[in-house]
Amino acid sequence: MPDILLRYQAEIWQAIGETFIMVGVSILAAILVGLPVGTLLYLCRKGNLLENRFVFSSLNLLVNIIRSFPFLLLVVFLIPFTRLIMGTAIGTAAATVPLSIIAFAHYSRLVEQSLLEIPKGVIDAAVSMGASVKEVVFKFLLVESRSGLVVGLTMSTISFISYSTIMGVVGGGGVGDFAIRYGYQQFQTDLMLYVIVIMVILVQMIQFIGMTIARKIDKR
Amino acid sequence: MMEWGLFVIELQNVTKKFGNHTAIQNVSLTVHQGEIHGLIGASGAGKSTMLRVMNLLEIPDSGSVYVGERELTTRSKRELREARKRIGMIFQHFNLVLNKTVEQNVAVSLQLAQVPKHQRIDRVRECLRFVGLEDQMDKYPAQLSGGQKQRVAIARALANEPEVLLCDEPTSSLDPHTTSEILTVIRDIHERLGVTVIIVSHEMNVIKSICQRVTVMDQGTIYETVQIESSGIPRSDRSPERFIKELKNDA
Ligand SMILES: Nc1ncnc2c1ncn2[C@@H]1O[C@H](COP(=O)(O)OP(=O)(O)OP(=O)(O)O)[C@@H](O)[C@H]1O
Ligand SMILES: [Mg+2]
Repeated sequence: MPDILLRYQAEIWQAIGETFIMVGVSILAAILVGLPVGTLLYLCRKGNLLENRFVFSSLNLLVNIIRSFPFLLLVVFLIPFTRLIMGTAIGTAAATVPLSIIAFAHYSRLVEQSLLEIPKGVIDAAVSMGASVKEVVFKFLLVESRSGLVVGLTMSTISFISYSTIMGVVGGGGVGDFAIRYGYQQFQTDLMLYVIVIMVILVQMIQFIGMTIARKIDKR
Repeated sequence: MMEWGLFVIELQNVTKKFGNHTAIQNVSLTVHQGEIHGLIGASGAGKSTMLRVMNLLEIPDSGSVYVGERELTTRSKRELREARKRIGMIFQHFNLVLNKTVEQNVAVSLQLAQVPKHQRIDRVRECLRFVGLEDQMDKYPAQLSGGQKQRVAIARALANEPEVLLCDEPTSSLDPHTTSEILTVIRDIHERLGVTVIIVSHEMNVIKSICQRVTVMDQGTIYETVQIESSGIPRSDRSPERFIKELKNDA
């Protein structure tokens, strides 16, 4: 283990912990909000089961706006909102607010895309068997798109890691912030490189695990 | 002859448009209980649309659809779903859930009908035995041939003991031999289970082989409905001896 990593051991572990919190909450937001929103986008689309122009256009616009914001500006723009719901706009916990918002928007698009890949005939079959919309979603759509949903979540998670690296601007900490403050700003380029290596390994692992699971559950 | 007096499905002045395009125009049709009714016509004539109107997969712009004594077009969503459970449907591309096993594909239709779990497995097995796939329960659709996939779809459609089976080009992506096999299964369903069958096809052979009445469609309207004597399903011998014989005969 290189000396410099040992010297900053405590700080590095703390930074990793912060990153895990930020990314973990983002993943939760993706699943709890992004999945339903993506499904709703799909269902409300023209020609689909809950076709509804108003709901579709509104959600579509919302997701587009969030996604087209440069993320740094979104974080700054959301400061008053963050303060409103968290009591403060500073710190790791507060940082999860903008992250959750980009997370749900990011993942909902990928959910929508995965659902769009399902052949329409499967839905015809489900409806002809007397399935309700809820049953179509849970017993057919999510089953058929499950590997796409996992691939999407994997890609989203990797993006969330990247997004989390700039949360230093609002005192969110995390690995990216550590690399900037201790590596870049203190001219310890080797430290910065080590951190980057750690990140690359982390991303590789996530990619590998996600893709392995996706392959395992795909019977198509 | 069967009780032609009763009807199972009746369309009254049904019109269905897609945008500006009228897919079917003011059609009225009565399908009798216990018949195998064919729908034939050129591509785009409105055959599939007419079939899909029968279980309200396509909601007509005007007109009424009766199934049995029930008018479907005026039902609530929940009642419509209940009615659909009594109407089986199969498709050209089978439309199985590829991430479910054969068993799960059939079981889901029982699940939707709230059949208790312990009864499901026996019924699934029974339906798969009927179509000759009892030994393939744990396979996924990707591991099956086209004919086998259509059998699974048929088993799924049969699970809730439907009164009617709607078939949209059920053999159009199958080879002649497999077509004969599937037609035999459909005829068995008709003969042994007393299910009324409506079959859409653009293949004259298919229609002639098992139908008793045939409706010819043209540009969204019914051209004529005729009664025919079904010619029987062509036997298809796949033995190597037969191939050799045919090859030599043709030479
Ligand atoms: N969902 C849809 N949206 C728009 N137009 C449609 C839709 N379904 C059918 N149509 C149109 O309605 C007409 C009738 O279609 P339908 O599928 O009933 O014909 P078909 O007789 O079954 O033809 P084929 O033999 O090609 O299956 C066609 O012109 C078709 O393009
Ligand atoms: Mg058709």
